[in-house]
Amino acid sequence: MNSFRFQDLTTEEQDWLDAYLDGTISPEAFESLQNRLVENAVLRSVMRQYLAIDDSLRDVGENGAEAATEPWLRVVEPEKKVIRFPGFIPIAAAAALAFFLGTAVMQWSSTDDEMGPEPSAQGFAVIERLFDASWAQSEPVRREGDLLGGEVFRLASGTAEIQFFSGASMTIEGPAEIALKSAWEAVCSEGNVRMQVPPAARGFKLQAPGTEIIDLGTEFGLSVRDGKGHVEVIDGEISVRPKGGEEQLLTKGAAVKLSKDGPLTPAETGQIEFPDTDRFGSRSLDSQIADFEKWKSHRDALARDERLIAYYAFDRESPEMPIPDLTIPRNPELDGSVILAEPVDGRWPGLKSALEFRRPGARVRVNVPGEFSAFTFATWVRIDSLDRVYNALFMGDSYETGEPHWQIRDDGAMMLSVMVDDSKPNPKAPNDAGLHRVYYSPPMWEMSMSGEWMHLASVFDPEGRAVSHFVNGEQVSTQEIEDKFLIKKLRIGNAEIGNWGLPFREDPWFAIRNLNGRMDEIALFDAALGAEEIAGLFERSRAGRR
Amino acid sequence: MAQSENDNYELFVQRFAQHERDLRRFIRSLLPTWTDTDEVVQQSAIVLWRKFDQYDPETNFMKWACVVARFEALAYRRKMARDKLVFREDVFDLMADEGVEEVDTRRTEHEALETCLAAMPEKQRDFVTLAYTPGIKVKELAADAGSSSAAFYMRLKRLRRQLMECIETKTAQPDHA
Repeated sequence: MNSFRFQDLTTEEQDWLDAYLDGTISPEAFESLQNRLVENAVLRSVMRQYLAIDDSLRDVGENGAEAATEPWLRVVEPEKKVIRFPGFIPIAAAAALAFFLGTAVMQWSSTDDEMGPEPSAQGFAVIERLFDASWAQSEPVRREGDLLGGEVFRLASGTAEIQFFSGASMTIEGPAEIALKSAWEAVCSEGNVRMQVPPAARGFKLQAPGTEIIDLGTEFGLSVRDGKGHVEVIDGEISVRPKGGEEQLLTKGAAVKLSKDGPLTPAETGQIEFPDTDRFGSRSLDSQIADFEKWKSHRDALARDERLIAYYAFDRESPEMPIPDLTIPRNPELDGSVILAEPVDGRWPGLKSALEFRRPGARVRVNVPGEFSAFTFATWVRIDSLDRVYNALFMGDSYETGEPHWQIRDDGAMMLSVMVDDSKPNPKAPNDAGLHRVYYSPPMWEMSMSGEWMHLASVFDPEGRAVSHFVNGEQVSTQEIEDKFLIKKLRIGNAEIGNWGLPFREDPWFAIRNLNGRMDEIALFDAALGAEEIAGLFERSRAGRR
Repeated sequence: MAQSENDNYELFVQRFAQHERDLRRFIRSLLPTWTDTDEVVQQSAIVLWRKFDQYDPETNFMKWACVVARFEALAYRRKMARDKLVFREDVFDLMADEGVEEVDTRRTEHEALETCLAAMPEKQRDFVTLAYTPGIKVKELAADAGSSSAAFYMRLKRLRRQLMECIETKTAQPDHA
């Protein structure tokens, strides 16, 4: 199979091809293109591929036009903009044109700057922050950053801050039960809630027992316990409409009791303490400091683990310094040098830093001599997006016999492989550097998890004949190491964190593997840690919930 | 039509239908536009049928069809040789020689394209479909959308390259690591 790729061409050559396809190439450029074609077989091959795709797309265009005939009849209204069709456009094409003008082109003109496929996530709201939140056993465990759609959000205890896409913000104290109806409407049947509604979200509707509350701007509190509601206007104005009753306006300082059957009775203010986001913030900082201290003692204990090969937490005294290997006794030879990776906030902003590998050349280089009998790799990462086909976590430079590659595929699957024999061809993929096998986890990451810290661990265990992957302390997959892929003497040598140093092929999609995200710490062990030990690592090093 | 000729015709139609897309893609790589390609595909079909009694059913139909199509494309090219976008003969020969060998690759890529299109966000896919709808005039389209044709081509180019990259990823050996 031809393995030349469009990206192998120079920018000039790429532009020539597009201009040729669009019929806009100048005679001079066409002459240069032809001269280059005679010299360059890669260009010829890629050009044939590009032309064939152009042809296939026209096929799609033809079918698209036919498919669009029907909707056109329904979608285009007579009063809409009059479009003049030249007489020679076939009816189907005219229909397609009219149809798409209403959709594709309008969107195109307003969003011309977006690039690349955009995996989209759907929902009405997002969980902004959680504090001491807990969930009933029958309920899903929610995380910060989770999207909420049309569903019931049940909080057993603790506090949650939910940001609706209308702009309204809801702080909930458990136990609570909130049903989300849209970005503009929710139903509270239990719980203590504070609503903050900016001008853009005016009109946000909150249903309480027997009553509908419409926020006309700023802030109110609602408490529902045992079917009895209590509303207080903290600032601004709300409208309350009891079942079968008249709508009433309540302004700042007003409070009413709600009943299931409708009638409202005036109440005193200040009887209920509604959850407060400010207090939430400061308590959150205190708990962060406590978590960070907990992590520090974990770190100091782990550094003495005799099975450690190296342990990096990416904290440095100054940006010019190397990343210290924290293993005790200390061996400066194992320190890592930082190239282009940028220091950023880690899991405890302001308290601990992490490294970001967003730039394609970003990496941390290490040299780890020695021979090992098993590998366990464990890290805290925050993935912003999986931009590459393969996104590096920890990669042996030349991927020679015994060296590991630990990475994430663009579909979110974790991958761990060790070169079994670099002198033998890989029967499945002759282009590969040698005989090896990649052990994949099921996809464990998707776009909605962007920006979320997670603990990843993978174990290569020749003795136990198994490769296992773990996410947040839980085992997600395990696969057997077959005889022909068994290798017992493992090495690392020169290697990189967050990128790949020495790709054996130059194609950009293959060679560029920087992780678009942050790493807070990474530990390498010369041992196969068991499932319980990995769960323990996660527990001891986590930041509150994360 | 005699019985044997009837059988022959059925065999021809069957083979031609099976390979028409492959043949189109081969011809497309030799000529500047779809219109040219359409004409040469039609002309080739006529010649192939006319010469079908010379075709040995035991051999590769596609190879034979490519030989005929290449000749037809060459004849067509000579007719319109003053058009600025027609390949010189040396380029034409190289493209044709190598193109014959890539028929299967092209087919795999075509299949990958369908997957890649399906995975595209809807508005991008709609845009590509629109841009490739026969008879579409980019200038008018762009004017109606309040944009320039340059911006239209720019976006088309970007999406096409994105598809190309997707196809290349999909057709690459899956097990590299």
